[in-house]
Amino acid sequence: MLETTKISVSSVEPPARLVESDISENGRSNTLPLLSVIVPMSNHGSEAQTIYRALRQGLENYGQSFEIIFVDDASTDDTYAQVLAIATRDPRVKLIRMRAACGETSALDAGLRHAAGQRLVFASARVRANMQTLPRLLRKLDEGFDLVVGWRTPRQDAGLNRVVSRLFNWLMQKLLKLKLHDINSSIFAAPRRVLESMTVYGNLNIFIPVLAAHQGYKVTEEQIEQLPGAFRTSSHVSEYVQRLLDIITVVFLTRYSKKPLHFLGFFGIIFTAAGLVMNLYLFVYRILDFGAIAGRPLLLLGALLLVIGLQMISIGLIGEMIIYTHAREIKEYNIETVVGK
Amino acid sequence: MTQNDNQVFCSVVIPVMNEEENVPHLHQAITGAMQAWGRPYEIVIVDDGSTDRTFPLLEEIARRDPHLRVVKFRRNFGQSAAMGAGFEYARGEVVVTMDGDLQNDPKDIPLVVAELQKGYDVVSGWRKNRQDRLIIRKVPSRLANRLIRKTTQVNLHDTGCSLKAYRREVVQKIRLYGEMHRFIPALARIEGARIGEVVVDHHERKFGRSKYNLMRTFKVIMDLATLNLFLKYLTRPLHFFGALTLLFNGLGAATLLAMIFYSAQNNLSIAELNVLMSLGFLLVATGINFLLYGLIANMVVKTGQKHDERLHEIVHFPKRGFGAGNN
Repeated sequence: MLETTKISVSSVEPPARLVESDISENGRSNTLPLLSVIVPMSNHGSEAQTIYRALRQGLENYGQSFEIIFVDDASTDDTYAQVLAIATRDPRVKLIRMRAACGETSALDAGLRHAAGQRLVFASARVRANMQTLPRLLRKLDEGFDLVVGWRTPRQDAGLNRVVSRLFNWLMQKLLKLKLHDINSSIFAAPRRVLESMTVYGNLNIFIPVLAAHQGYKVTEEQIEQLPGAFRTSSHVSEYVQRLLDIITVVFLTRYSKKPLHFLGFFGIIFTAAGLVMNLYLFVYRILDFGAIAGRPLLLLGALLLVIGLQMISIGLIGEMIIYTHAREIKEYNIETVVGK
Repeated sequence: MTQNDNQVFCSVVIPVMNEEENVPHLHQAITGAMQAWGRPYEIVIVDDGSTDRTFPLLEEIARRDPHLRVVKFRRNFGQSAAMGAGFEYARGEVVVTMDGDLQNDPKDIPLVVAELQKGYDVVSGWRKNRQDRLIIRKVPSRLANRLIRKTTQVNLHDTGCSLKAYRREVVQKIRLYGEMHRFIPALARIEGARIGEVVVDHHERKFGRSKYNLMRTFKVIMDLATLNLFLKYLTRPLHFFGALTLLFNGLGAATLLAMIFYSAQNNLSIAELNVLMSLGFLLVATGINFLLYGLIANMVVKTGQKHDERLHEIVHFPKRGFGAGNN
């Protein structure tokens, strides 16, 4: 699915400031850029120049050697031509073009694969961040955090987007006990090792801060300016439904994925027990000859609850089988350091 | 660096969490016992996200003692994960696990290992004279052990004892996940291990407290149900779900037959017949669902790692005539 148009391979300038640990970790040569900024573009041709200029200015001020990777998610406008023009002039710019529109998670993955830097910044063109303010995230990383999320303030989005986003973040804070204002900003910075240790699929990339915090990484946020302009609002209700389902996925993934029967078994047993009690009551009722039970709706309700309860337990057992089958491939922990040889 | 990787005979794996008071004693006691024993050893302590001074203390000890290795988690991931990490970093031919609270005596390590070398894959300690208060801990523990014996086919008096020894092969083979650290012998049993036990000492907990609660009991029961299923049906889950299919389809058929019988007799109202019919259909549909679950479960098991490869040893393997000519 990937067609890589690499305009430059090596960076020209020597890095201005070396972060020792970042380099020695993989033994990489220090002619590679220290920073890789990944910018997914989807029909943002008209903004390409603005984004590039703001990014360049911000990053040059920050002072670390950098590369900018634009990932063109099969745009139908002139995005490709615009970025290609930039890339031919500036060797620090890489262009990756997806063959078909695949979404931001795929763009992130493709960008990650071709990024040379030890620290990565992910900033989607969609959210119209003022790219000049991105180095704020990097300064926060310098303080020792493992992942920094951009918090769009003040928000310039369309009203509906803001309301939905507020709701989403409120729900996430309640469910996952993560104190971040703007989890879904699609802007974040992190060392490569942090991102590489996480498996992200589907459109779960907006949950990367949540998943990172779950792995025990130190996650924080930093304010990012947003540019005013034409924002797209979601045109389908289905997008909101999907978002809601994603939340359920993440809650399940972070809490119960390693012990599905503890979760499903709990509800399964409650349902089964309720169904059993109802039907036992009817059984006794009939045996003692209080009257006919065939016409009692309670009979159906009881049977239904019993059936649903048993199915929940079955699904839980299948979940346990899936995990057991893959238990030797899945690591359930994240090691910070090992002391001793 | 006094020893080579393959020279370690015994790895002592200990998961700890917020045990700052115990850690120095623990290290001292184990070192004393192992030095007296004289076999090459290493200690692998997994710090499961301690928030007190446990890790700095361990780090300091590790600087002085080349036998000690400390694995530090980024956050608290639970005892199963800690045990799993310990197994991964252990390099000895024999892996001994212990709790960090010094309720077991490290002097018993040679004893457990000696039992292991009699031909077992797993040897568990048995705290025959427990130092806990009678009713509160002994009785529930005895009941739990009986239940565990029945459901997991592991004949141990005291599964809860954390002092256990494993052959390296077993540690590499078992699949530890979720909160299954309580049932490592059962997990080993699923992989076909031979399990033994030996009586060990038991001291009262010096610092800190351990806790019991209802939710934990529920989780334990769920885990036991899972283990029981794995033990019997891991390689053929359709047989398990198929039984449920038969049961529900039988009930459904009986209900529908009763409905037909009553409608022929004409002594039930239409509404009553409707309820009976719905019930019959519901039961049949459920039965079919279970069949489908069974098929999916079969797919899950077949697409994963092979489960049929159980532990075994080659005792005597005479050369047969037909292979003789071409070697």
